Amino acid sequence: MKMNLELRIMNEEFRIKRSISIISFLHSKFSILICVFASLWPAGTSAMAGENQTREEMKGSIVYLEISSYGYDQIRPWKNTDIQQKSGVGCATGAYQVITPAWNLTDAKLIKAKVSGQNEYVPAKIKTIDYEIDLALLELDAGTMKKPLKPIRFEDKFQRGAKLNYYWLNANAEMTTGQGYMDRAEMARSTVSYAYFLNLIVTNTSQETSTGQVYCDGSTPVGISCWSKSSTETGLIPAAIINNFLARAKDGNYPGVPAVGFAAEALLDPAMRTYLKMPATMKNGVQVTSVYTIGTGNESLKAGDVILAIDGKELDAYGKFLYPAYDRILFHHLITSHKIGDDIVFDIWRDGGKQQLHVQAINFDVGQMLVPYYEYGSQPEYVVTGGFVFQKLTRSYLTNWGKDWDGKVTPHLLYYLRDMAFKPTAQRREIVILSYCLPAQINLGYTDLSQLVVSKFNGMPISRISDIVKAQKLNPGAKYDVVEFELDNPTVVIPRQQLPQADATLATSYGIRKLVNINP
Amino acid sequence: MRMKNLESRPENSKSYLLICNSKFLIFVFALCVCSICQAAGLGGMEKSVVMIRGAGQEFDFVTPWKPKAMAQGVGSGFIIEDNKILTNAHNVSNNKYIELQKEGVAKRYLAKVAFIGHDCDLALLAVEDKSFFDDTKSLELAELPGVNTAVETYGFPMGGRRISVTKGIVSRIQVDTYSHTGADSHLVIQTDAAINPGNSGGPVIQDGKVVGVAFQGLRQADNIGYMIPTTVIRHFLADINDGKYDGFGSLGVMLYPGLHNPGYKDYLNVPADQQGIVVIETTMHSSVEPILKRGDVLTQIDQYAIDNDGRVEIYGLKLDMSEVVETKQIGQTVELAYYRDGKPMKTTATVALNRPVLEFARQYDIEPEYVCFAGLVFVPVTRNYLETWGAEWIKDVPFYLRYLFYNSMQLNEDRARKEYVVLSEIMPDEINAYAGGFKSQVVASINGTTIEGLEDVWKVFEKPPEGFYTIMFMGMDRPLILDAKEAHTQQAKILTKYDIPFGFAQGRPQQTRLPSTGSNQKEVQQ
Repeated sequence: MKMNLELRIMNEEFRIKRSISIISFLHSKFSILICVFASLWPAGTSAMAGENQTREEMKGSIVYLEISSYGYDQIRPWKNTDIQQKSGVGCATGAYQVITPAWNLTDAKLIKAKVSGQNEYVPAKIKTIDYEIDLALLELDAGTMKKPLKPIRFEDKFQRGAKLNYYWLNANAEMTTGQGYMDRAEMARSTVSYAYFLNLIVTNTSQETSTGQVYCDGSTPVGISCWSKSSTETGLIPAAIINNFLARAKDGNYPGVPAVGFAAEALLDPAMRTYLKMPATMKNGVQVTSVYTIGTGNESLKAGDVILAIDGKELDAYGKFLYPAYDRILFHHLITSHKIGDDIVFDIWRDGGKQQLHVQAINFDVGQMLVPYYEYGSQPEYVVTGGFVFQKLTRSYLTNWGKDWDGKVTPHLLYYLRDMAFKPTAQRREIVILSYCLPAQINLGYTDLSQLVVSKFNGMPISRISDIVKAQKLNPGAKYDVVEFELDNPTVVIPRQQLPQADATLATSYGIRKLVNINP
Repeated sequence: MRMKNLESRPENSKSYLLICNSKFLIFVFALCVCSICQAAGLGGMEKSVVMIRGAGQEFDFVTPWKPKAMAQGVGSGFIIEDNKILTNAHNVSNNKYIELQKEGVAKRYLAKVAFIGHDCDLALLAVEDKSFFDDTKSLELAELPGVNTAVETYGFPMGGRRISVTKGIVSRIQVDTYSHTGADSHLVIQTDAAINPGNSGGPVIQDGKVVGVAFQGLRQADNIGYMIPTTVIRHFLADINDGKYDGFGSLGVMLYPGLHNPGYKDYLNVPADQQGIVVIETTMHSSVEPILKRGDVLTQIDQYAIDNDGRVEIYGLKLDMSEVVETKQIGQTVELAYYRDGKPMKTTATVALNRPVLEFARQYDIEPEYVCFAGLVFVPVTRNYLETWGAEWIKDVPFYLRYLFYNSMQLNEDRARKEYVVLSEIMPDEINAYAGGFKSQVVASINGTTIEGLEDVWKVFEKPPEGFYTIMFMGMDRPLILDAKEAHTQQAKILTKYDIPFGFAQGRPQQTRLPSTGSNQKEVQQ
């Protein structure tokens, strides 16, 4: 006889039949099953209980985020792109404050949070955001919240191979969990910036986690997720980065993290070492290949220098130093983990001998780059005049070409991004291009011009896009605005007298409400 | 068609025999009629058009000491005056063996390239065995045919082994790119007469005379085939009169049809009723470099007036002004009229090769040069080298190569530069174990010496070794360092290990190079 034994041990709903024979029969089966169950139970019911407790506790510390973002069209920068909806995870670091990765908030226009135990959305605003470490601090509207969040504190806990649990709130404000395994620490590039920062890499995660899921080692929160490579690997922003960020963002005057002002490549070739007159026993040191005009070290370092140590920590030939907890990681951390203004000691090899440099930790605004890496939240800068669409060159403009963009874009534009992006000068702050021409009577014969770098406008060398507005006022008596381009290209002349009428017609027929956008 | 053996029939009654005989007569008669039909249909062209079988071998532009795959092809050609055969260059380029066959004649004849013009896809063949020309007829060249007039092509296209004829009309006459080099443009005549693989080199006939050489078609279209007009053929034949093919030249000036914009026209001070084309830049080393300036507006070339699109009326058609230049041989001159700052001026310009410093025409029949030193292989940057990246090479090649391909004429300011040199391959050895990151990069200088041509690379390396070789590459921040003494020590071993015959394949014996029948543009450039 097949007995249907539904043993709901947890809920203790165990129906006992009144018949004695059945009771005795069941009793014996029950005890067998209890034994079986006990042997199948994972080692330590206390661990499971502990995880359950953490899970319960987390409910008061994690929010679900819904983000509506709205950006600008790269080649019709007077036009917005479609609204995009994204979702994310926020982790409480204050009563009404959460952190989440920054990449999810690019061009965010509206952020709403959902907390456990409350149906209504809570509006949220960005208080501080740092794309270089992929972190953002959001402030929730206290008035809409039934009760404050329970802040959690992240801690530096790194055990290679440790099983981690992650927690997040889904769209229904239900707690969702999963697992992964702590693998290593690594310098990784922020998905939304040029900068490298310290990541913890977790492998074999239950799902793809990249939107701020909180990872815990036991009951210790160790980081939040910021990127994922399917389920095989996830990158976490570690406690150290989070805690530094929170400390510096506290008083509202967030200075950012220091930026590296040079590029370095591994120095493996023994011929190069001999050429530099390094002693044969000196196997360490990474070689500076290019020095920027912005960022830490840009004023002191020279191309060809070999950096032997930073703050006394020796760099190997790959530029990695020994971080006791994490093994070897890239030198960038030794710079970016400082505070802005700190003094950093560089031990270098130059001109056949050792030297010591004292370098101040500094950073730069992304807008200071000759070709900005990003312009999140801002409208691209442009001037439309006579149908000619002049734009400031940014990396986003070029990546807009899609897959294989670097094989498709005009080489001369790519040259500026590839070789000069970190090298603005007083004479050249931005690269201004003629993106293309909106056909109209006034530009007849020039319609096929596109992707040209502007060199002069009315004789004035163009250093930034705002110069065009200035240059249009030059030579008051002249009949034409005259535009010259780099490499061998025709000169564009725009008849001033026809401009106002032509611009008005163009604005109407092409639907351009704002012909000029220069950000303050 | 089988023949009946009448004699073997034993029961031949007279009447039967008569019938059989009459049948036989009819049969024979019919045969004769068919032959006449056939001959009438071909108009005697079978005595002028030949089948060309060529076997060629391409060169390796990455590691030039290695021979590449053999290829065989079938094309057509035709006999012109002086017992020569005209065909397309692409039928016989990089050839090792050429075999001719006449329609209906079994014997095969060996031929050789007498002259070849890659920039116009024409070649002239010579046959040693003069008996080839027995019972043949040479064809005459006609002028340009009119649009919408009937033409016929003759040749040996795919789908059979006998001579074939197709018929069509002249659809269009314009300037277009000749795909053999992929960079040279001349006049082409478009026809809807079917031109298929194998037709190349065959004549296109109107009223018994040649109006063109069939040579390419548009794959994705219906009924679009192209022929090389007699203007180009005549230029080629006139060129080789002196025993050497020099090629098609140009003025060496970059132009823009800017006068469509009335503002630009006024800005350049050109009279309102004057048409012309704007000079943007002149090519380095061209004859017009010291004469013409940016902003000049060309209004006339020889007796032809230039319109705002840069076209002139020539041969009763509106064609690009380069057609006038195409009537001249290299070294001849044209008269130019132009406006500068509102004043009409005149000058004489000499037609020259004016090739860009990064040659973007494919090259043939020139054994590529190389330097192999310390296992590092250096070759000149050429279109052929870039095309080793495959069909999408323009997207796939490393950045600097693409940058130079597009902009070499604007970026290069070095008047002594002959070509760009690239590190094309690394033959692995301890000495070059760390050179991997520099593969496919363009050499800027070695030990401070700017590299302006492949020869410069060898000159630096052949000096007595001391210290280090510092090789700087364009667009790369740090140099490749080689220990000079060690490099020299390893040189012979590396050459032996990889079966490389020479370290520097330019100073090699003359017989390993093909005779100079090709348009060797590098030689003429200086």
